[in-house]
Amino acid sequence: MSTVAPARVLEETTHRARRHRAGGRSAPLAGWLFVSPAVLLFCVFILGPFIAAMALSLFSYDLLTPAQFVGLKNFRTLLTDTTLVRALGNTFVFAFASVVTHLVGGLLLAVLVNRGLNRVLSYFVRVAVFFPFLISWAAVALLWKYVLDPSFGIVSYYLGKIGITAPGWFTDPAWALPSIIGVDFWHTIGYTFLIMLAGLQTVPAEMTEAARVDGASRLQSFVFVTLPLMTPTLFFASVITFIGAFQIFDPVQIITAGGPDNSTVTAVMYLYQTGFQAFQIGYASTIALVVFAVIMLVTILQFWGSRKWVHNA
Amino acid sequence: MVSHAGGAVPGMSPLRRSLGRRSFLRSLGGAALIPAVGLPLAGCGGDSGSGGGSGGGGGGKPSGSLTFVYYGDANQQKSYEALFTKFRSEHPEITLKAQGIAAKSWADFANTVSTRLAGGQPLDVVQIATEGQRIFASKGLLEPLDPYIAKDQAMVDAYYKDTSPEIQGWLKQYASPDGKTYYIPGGYNTMALYVSDKIFSAAGVTPPTDTWSWDEFRAAGEAIKSKTGAFLTSVGSGYFTDVMPWLTNNGASTFNEDWTQITFNSPAAVEALTFARSLVVDGFAPKPGGTFDAPTALSQGKIASFGGGRWPTLDLVRLKAVDGVELVKWPMKAKAGSPVGWDAWPILKGSKNKDAAWTLISYLMSQEFGEQTVVGGGAVPARISVATGPSFLQNAPKNTQLLYELLKVATPIPAPNRGAEIQAVIEDAWLQGISGTKDPQTALNDATTKLQSLLT
Repeated sequence: MSTVAPARVLEETTHRARRHRAGGRSAPLAGWLFVSPAVLLFCVFILGPFIAAMALSLFSYDLLTPAQFVGLKNFRTLLTDTTLVRALGNTFVFAFASVVTHLVGGLLLAVLVNRGLNRVLSYFVRVAVFFPFLISWAAVALLWKYVLDPSFGIVSYYLGKIGITAPGWFTDPAWALPSIIGVDFWHTIGYTFLIMLAGLQTVPAEMTEAARVDGASRLQSFVFVTLPLMTPTLFFASVITFIGAFQIFDPVQIITAGGPDNSTVTAVMYLYQTGFQAFQIGYASTIALVVFAVIMLVTILQFWGSRKWVHNA
Repeated sequence: MVSHAGGAVPGMSPLRRSLGRRSFLRSLGGAALIPAVGLPLAGCGGDSGSGGGSGGGGGGKPSGSLTFVYYGDANQQKSYEALFTKFRSEHPEITLKAQGIAAKSWADFANTVSTRLAGGQPLDVVQIATEGQRIFASKGLLEPLDPYIAKDQAMVDAYYKDTSPEIQGWLKQYASPDGKTYYIPGGYNTMALYVSDKIFSAAGVTPPTDTWSWDEFRAAGEAIKSKTGAFLTSVGSGYFTDVMPWLTNNGASTFNEDWTQITFNSPAAVEALTFARSLVVDGFAPKPGGTFDAPTALSQGKIASFGGGRWPTLDLVRLKAVDGVELVKWPMKAKAGSPVGWDAWPILKGSKNKDAAWTLISYLMSQEFGEQTVVGGGAVPARISVATGPSFLQNAPKNTQLLYELLKVATPIPAPNRGAEIQAVIEDAWLQGISGTKDPQTALNDATTKLQSLLT
């Protein structure tokens, strides 16, 4: 028996291999079946709407009456739309600030947790930093409206205690966007922090130990060993943070609705206002294409630039 | 925030469903697919229907499925569901699906309904407020109700006899572009001040029994601030809850009577905004820009008054703080006034079950339904007998009948076709004015320029 069984296994394996070579179809079919749910979802929710948006950008359509073909009129409107320029400007400011604060803040927190804390405290900090990310934007937005209320809010109260008059966090055009950036940082830093922490834990300990043995200080070890090895993580975080930030919508819609005086209107929010308040679905689709193009362009630039600074092991 | 016939608490935004970035873009894409594949709009002249047809004819009892969409947050949805239990038991042959939408404002509610219609959802009866009535009628989305009214003339006459003639007139003026009847009027809201007798008496101030001037209001604020430390009132930027009350009590409005001319930067409007701003500057009102719960603040003695229609009463009842609160008129300068907004019930042209839809509307008109709305409804019931009756006035602040009486001096909230955009511009300008980031004249001038482009 012991000699027969391996022979049978070998025979069956050979038979399956022959059948695979002869038929050649069952394996690819199975592969397609496995990926079909993802492909279907992609087509229905990503590709289909994208193609529809391209088609709609050539129409004037108000949802309530039939669409009318207008050619490139919506694209010409883009060129004279000052609100769109303002929205894109605000969005770039928000995205840039978001990328910088998240990368720096996330990295510092990760380094602190990875090295400077004992195990119990480390777990507590991880949970505490990540927890806000689990709360819905609606709750976060309302929470901060209460916290930053100029008369009843806790921040204004304590600022008043030390003789500082709180600004109109969400009513002063100079403060509204920075306030939203701050709220966004509080809400989403946990995600970047986790990415950074995971990245730090992939840095081989022997590399930093070797640097220390060679006489490098902690700072030198971090700057010249850890940081270069972290660049793939930093690059990944910068790409996804930018893409996420450029699509910022929820907090702005709930907290300021784009005001005051359009100082917090963002590209996706303007798209929403155009589509579902002004009912200019065709023009909103054109704006969607602009948002897509900008994100794609910046991402390409990020990948192109990464060749100069991202360390490939 | 702005709500006049269904009601959120001023200064306390109802939580809206969070729209995630991806789900938002997906829904946009989903909506975008509709015309691309050539589907007809559900709301634009769909099949008149096999389940009852149109025109109020047809023998036998109407039956089938019926979808009714109304404005309401989770609490109001609960109340509405209770109201429809009776209807379902009386009409077991009709399957009623009542869907509440917790929108931010009536303008947003109208937009949501439009989007759902475009998405092909078969809606039969929709509760539409002033902000959406004109556009829904003018876009040909509604079925004329005249044949149905003729069929049940006696019942409708009895209902009209017990409802405000002012609202009937305004419906004809603003929501009947071709002279046909598209709406049956429902509940409404005007704006009064909820006043804490306790804080006023602690400051030695007697709340007015009739009208009071801005100067008298300010004097009350000084006494309250110095003797109790409480704020006099809250000053916000809600179109219905804040902007229009100050404007209408100075003989101003955002638009002229037929909503074709902008009057938002008139001297009277600028004067109103300047006064509202002065209440913030002088510390009589909390600084704008945050969120606090006005009924709670009133019950805690932090604020002496706040504006509202019927809906804050629900919060005061919840807080068990109705006693010691009364409704008084908004302080006036040039003339007494109030904004008014009302909801109304049309039948959608795309409804496949119009006779059943009319059966539902008939139920909404009934005395029985009106009495039931008293419990959890955020609006003044349409029937005068209910709005001035004991069931509505009990367990409510003193002088609640004022909300009905204000109809005599009320101005319908101007709601031209691009209502949501117009409301956003008006509220943003008012916010800048009361927060001091722009002087009142500049804020209203800038808004007027923007509004001009939305009227054309």
